[in-house]
Amino acid sequence: MRLNATTNMPLNRLPESKPDLKKDKQDVVIPAIEMTDLCKVYSGETPVNALHNANLEVHDNEFFTLLGPSGCGKSTLLRLIAGFETVTSGNLKLFGEELSALPPEKRPINTVFQHYSLFPHMTVLENVAFGLRRQGKSERDAKMTAKEMLDLVQLDQYAQRYPKQLSGGQQQRVALARALAPHPRVLLLDEPLSALDLKLRQSMRVELKRLQRETSITFVFVTHDQEEALAMSDRIAVLSNGRIQQVSDPATIYEHPENRFVADFIGDANFFDAKIDKVDGEFTRYRLSTGDILLGPTTEARSEGAEVSIFFRPEKATVSLDLTGGLRGRVKDILYLGDSTEYRIYLADQSEISLKAENLKDGSPLAEVGTDVAVSVDPNAIRVLSR
Amino acid sequence: MKSLRALLVTYAGVMPSMLMLVGFLVLPLAIILVFSFLTPGPYGGVEPQVSVAAYVKLFFQKDLYGDLTFNSSVLEIAFRSVKIAAISVLGCVLLGAPVAYYIAQQPKRRRNTLLLLITIPFWTNLLIRTYSWIIILRDNGLVNNFLISANLTEAPVKLLYTEGSVVIGLVYTYVPFMILPIYAALERLDAGLIEAARDLYASKWRSVTSVVIPLAAPGFTAGSILVFIPCLGTFVAPELLGGGKHLMLGSLVQMQFAAGRNWPYGSALAMMIMAVVLVCLTIFALNARKTGGGMQH
Ligand SMILES: Nc1ncnc2c1ncn2[C@@H]1O[C@H](COP(=O)(O)OP(=O)(O)OP(=O)(O)O)[C@@H](O)[C@H]1O
Ligand SMILES: [Mg+2]
Repeated sequence: MRLNATTNMPLNRLPESKPDLKKDKQDVVIPAIEMTDLCKVYSGETPVNALHNANLEVHDNEFFTLLGPSGCGKSTLLRLIAGFETVTSGNLKLFGEELSALPPEKRPINTVFQHYSLFPHMTVLENVAFGLRRQGKSERDAKMTAKEMLDLVQLDQYAQRYPKQLSGGQQQRVALARALAPHPRVLLLDEPLSALDLKLRQSMRVELKRLQRETSITFVFVTHDQEEALAMSDRIAVLSNGRIQQVSDPATIYEHPENRFVADFIGDANFFDAKIDKVDGEFTRYRLSTGDILLGPTTEARSEGAEVSIFFRPEKATVSLDLTGGLRGRVKDILYLGDSTEYRIYLADQSEISLKAENLKDGSPLAEVGTDVAVSVDPNAIRVLSR
Repeated sequence: MKSLRALLVTYAGVMPSMLMLVGFLVLPLAIILVFSFLTPGPYGGVEPQVSVAAYVKLFFQKDLYGDLTFNSSVLEIAFRSVKIAAISVLGCVLLGAPVAYYIAQQPKRRRNTLLLLITIPFWTNLLIRTYSWIIILRDNGLVNNFLISANLTEAPVKLLYTEGSVVIGLVYTYVPFMILPIYAALERLDAGLIEAARDLYASKWRSVTSVVIPLAAPGFTAGSILVFIPCLGTFVAPELLGGGKHLMLGSLVQMQFAAGRNWPYGSALAMMIMAVVLVCLTIFALNARKTGGGMQH
């Protein structure tokens, strides 16, 4: 068990973990979860194809996040893993074992539900002990482990309360303790933070991350909040319309999105339709639809004249009053955001881009609304996508 | 004066429901109560002469010498009534709960159809429905004919005119009153809780016993009360399916108002039914509080 040096919270020992099967075979790393061509169709009058040929590997002891807009199939994927939905086609394996035929109670997987789903007729302690009892632990052992778990989420003094007598944040932590208590191989979390207010959400991010590290349990976390995903995950899978768009670590997802959807969904981006004007070694001149020329990196397999889509992030560009270089535009709006200031700028063809400048000093704007400015972007911060 | 007006304004709103209560509940009850303390008229009805004879008659009878001696027959009937009603409640739970659970599991549109089907028996007369059970249960009835043709028995099994046949009749009559409240409770149940239980290693059956049933308890309680009370007061099933040999309190009451022409005694018996119901419900409530100890609702 590793200790987290950055938090000063009392760290309590976890219940003894199960022997780790993986340790025996050191060469072959078996993924915690492996999906091959996993499909889910909800039958009904109008069948819904909620998941198309998903191929995915979640590593052991990983904080893995499923990120995507509402209705993209995140919960569906989670419910397939938990066993609440049946697989339409494809394979689903847990540490190398086929899962499809196992009912939920036979899978060493626990879930933290979006609305917590705590048993209202049981005390907090009974809720947390429920899974342990069903695993065959004696009442005494179950209660003892449950107490330790409540300790871990700092709710020990609420053991005898009923869920209704707790705040939303406390209920959330009971749900977490209940799901962690049986020490599952994989913990599934379906938007567990979405019902909490901002401050609580932020502190729970740290807490969840800490719990994942301490327990060494594989976490599969679902969210539609990209900031949350970037902050917490070891790796992220971005979903859209039942399809996996990209699987990578947070920095790669943000810096090198593979398609327009990922680029657009994670963070903000200024997109341009462009044509390759001239390839010049390491850098390429891109001619924008506005007529401006933007210097960007050279990408393989794209020749001069090719139609591409290029974009840059708002914080990668700088705005200046010196109109000698870069994209020409006029400031339309200035939004003061506290730590930074956002500039909305009209380009020549009336398209709008957004820039973000950190407020290093007093935050007074660099330009006024209505002034002409030049926008320059570091060529290395330009990203090129196929159109 | 102002406060009187304010009071009137406050109470004007609840007047209709107050009138309903008085008209449909308090008034008939009061009449029964008054009747039980009067003297029977020669052709039924009552004479306005105060008497407690009806209550005395519940527990005593005049022997040959005109002395009052203790008579336990009404008490025995009361005891049997409670027993038969309780068994019928149990039967209704065993039959009604799975049906309610099944309906609650169906898609929404199907549920309404099924609920409608549950009420179909009410569309015909109770007497006729109970008579048809005679055809099913009698010595050369459907059940016995089947048993004999299947060589399961040689002589017909005695089914009709037993306590068992009374219970069958009562369960058949009142099971919808059990199904509907249990269904209502199950329908309100958050399906996510069942998933949570399954997720935490509870088998299907285990999730029913440890999550579904405790949370649907109010439905079970309501259903039990709704079945128990009319069972105590019924006379159709004991009369037709019990052959008059397995009298219940309801039969006694009915007899006093019909052939017996002793309205005060019938009224006193009715008051006794109320007393029995009250005692049973109190025991039930005390029990529920003890077992459901920490329940917070
Ligand atoms: N039981 C169901 N029957 C039919 N269609 C369903 C069912 N459950 C989900 N769907 C559909 O499948 C698609 C994916 O749903 P899912 O719940 O997985 O989305 P999600 O990504 O979790 O969305 P959200 O962020 O809003 O929770 C949606 O189009 C939804 O309407
Ligand atoms: Mg969802």
